[in-house]
Amino acid sequence: MESAVSQRELARGSISKSRRYASLVPYAFVAPAVILYATFKLLPIVAGLYLAQLRWDGLNPAEYVGFANFSRIFQDDLVLLALKNNVMYAFGTVIGKITLSLALALLLHQGLRGRGFYRTALFMPVVMSFVVVGILWRWMYNSQFGLVNAAFRALGLERLIQNWLADPKVALGSLIAVDIWKWYGFHMVIFLAGLQSIPYEYYEAARIDGATRVRQFLSITLPLLAPVMLVNVTTSLMGGFNVFDIPFVMTEGGPANSTLVLALHIYLRGFKFYRFGYAAAMSYALLVLVVVITAVQLKLMSRNLGAQ
Amino acid sequence: MGARDRGLPAAGGGSVGSWLRSTRVQSGAIAVLSHLILVVATIIIVYPVLWMFFGSLKSGTELLTNVWGPPSRPMWENYPKAWEQGRLGVAFLNSVIVSINVVIMAVVISSLAGFAFARMQFRGSMGLFLVFVFTMQVGAPMVPLYVLVVRMKLTDSHLGLILPQVAGALPLSIFIFRAFFQSLPEELLDAARVDGCTDLGVFTRVVMPISGPAVATVAILQFLGSWNEFTLPLILVRQPDMRTLPLTLSSFTWEFGRTDWSLVFCALSVGALPMIILYVFMQRWFIQGLTEGAIKG
Repeated sequence: MESAVSQRELARGSISKSRRYASLVPYAFVAPAVILYATFKLLPIVAGLYLAQLRWDGLNPAEYVGFANFSRIFQDDLVLLALKNNVMYAFGTVIGKITLSLALALLLHQGLRGRGFYRTALFMPVVMSFVVVGILWRWMYNSQFGLVNAAFRALGLERLIQNWLADPKVALGSLIAVDIWKWYGFHMVIFLAGLQSIPYEYYEAARIDGATRVRQFLSITLPLLAPVMLVNVTTSLMGGFNVFDIPFVMTEGGPANSTLVLALHIYLRGFKFYRFGYAAAMSYALLVLVVVITAVQLKLMSRNLGAQ
Repeated sequence: MGARDRGLPAAGGGSVGSWLRSTRVQSGAIAVLSHLILVVATIIIVYPVLWMFFGSLKSGTELLTNVWGPPSRPMWENYPKAWEQGRLGVAFLNSVIVSINVVIMAVVISSLAGFAFARMQFRGSMGLFLVFVFTMQVGAPMVPLYVLVVRMKLTDSHLGLILPQVAGALPLSIFIFRAFFQSLPEELLDAARVDGCTDLGVFTRVVMPISGPAVATVAILQFLGSWNEFTLPLILVRQPDMRTLPLTLSSFTWEFGRTDWSLVFCALSVGALPMIILYVFMQRWFIQGLTEGAIKG
């Protein structure tokens, strides 16, 4: 009798023990991820808010200045210029990437021969780094020995020859073109996947009703592409606002600050002029800007989605 | 929020064939015009890359006289020259070490966490997962990250480059693994548990061996990201011997950009061609992995 009880108790004890053990197992599974993420991502984000309130060059003792760094952002002419450039860059790349990739996806979706080849070729620059692409295009844009002007010369379009990276009027546009060149194949593949998900019967029904191809595109294709459109616009918009590598490698913000963008301004303030506090404050401002813009864009676009 | 939920099919299916039929009705003129546009687009994408390779085999003077075409006589000797002067060997090695470690750590750590989020119930699981989701798109700001790595005495070290990249890679990787693990049938895991497997046993012996597709997606995504990473080494590396390829390419260009661009083209080719060759042979995986990453992120 007694032994039976103790055995049962023993069994119960071991069960609860194993349960307690089991309840800790999931935490062991997520622990490495949580620790690493908290240290190298969340901590810098939180600590940045404190750093942003210091006047500090990274070497000498820091001085606490409160929100002075934040208010300085609004008096910094370069911030305004960088913001303007950045907005132009973001919208220029988004519009260019979306129209070009959608147009080519529509062409490819006709079921042309060689579809796979075109897809592979146009996607290729995605695997190259911005550094390689940027340096390559610096030489492409060389006014005398570059491929771009040589191509215009060969086509008899001498009017279009420019000093692509040295002329403040065209430099930003030149960088935008490179960004589009690198990424539109990527967006095209995503559009292509979206196009393939549209049932053919919709088009057949529309044709029977006498809808033109333009009408079919506007009433069937475009609305049903809304989910992939959302993906494409969001990724390219965020990429456009966070851009750093291309202007850093190609122009360092010049000529005459015409290609200075926010991330580059932050980098230069922080790591060239050692204004750590101010750079941290601007990082925060950029972060808030990107979050707000993406939230607004997601809201606008998903309202459209909901309306259908 | 897998590909299917957002209306993306796994493969083309019948609609492509029907489209084919519909365009046959149209005149061939549209097809010809389409091909023309696509060929021009392809040339604009591919020729600059080919031209970069051509440029690496020209002499400094031929680069200026023969702008367009392939080199009259390929100067392979440019490569060892660039390799030595640009210290590409050590940069290549650094890039390999960092990228491979980032991939391995990202796969191991995020698959464990993804499994817990997908298949285990624990207090705070949803909250933790949402922290990853909501901070996914936010990059760690440069200055605080730099200060942190300096404090940990990890500047100019491989680990200092690896750990922040793994951390940055986690949200999307966890997301991909979680979605994959959720799609596995419950019976499979139950059978293993009945056989006496512990949770870790189920994970390592049953789940991971059949998770090839998810591992491939995450590995490709993170290898590419790490191989091409520029900002992090730019702020964290001071010693020339610790530079990774992108950083070396950038500084090499500032040094030699005024004198000999053919050497710069060699360096660029060394930086880009391995990835392009890998892409050509595994393009299906690359395209799928990268677009899946975007759609889920």
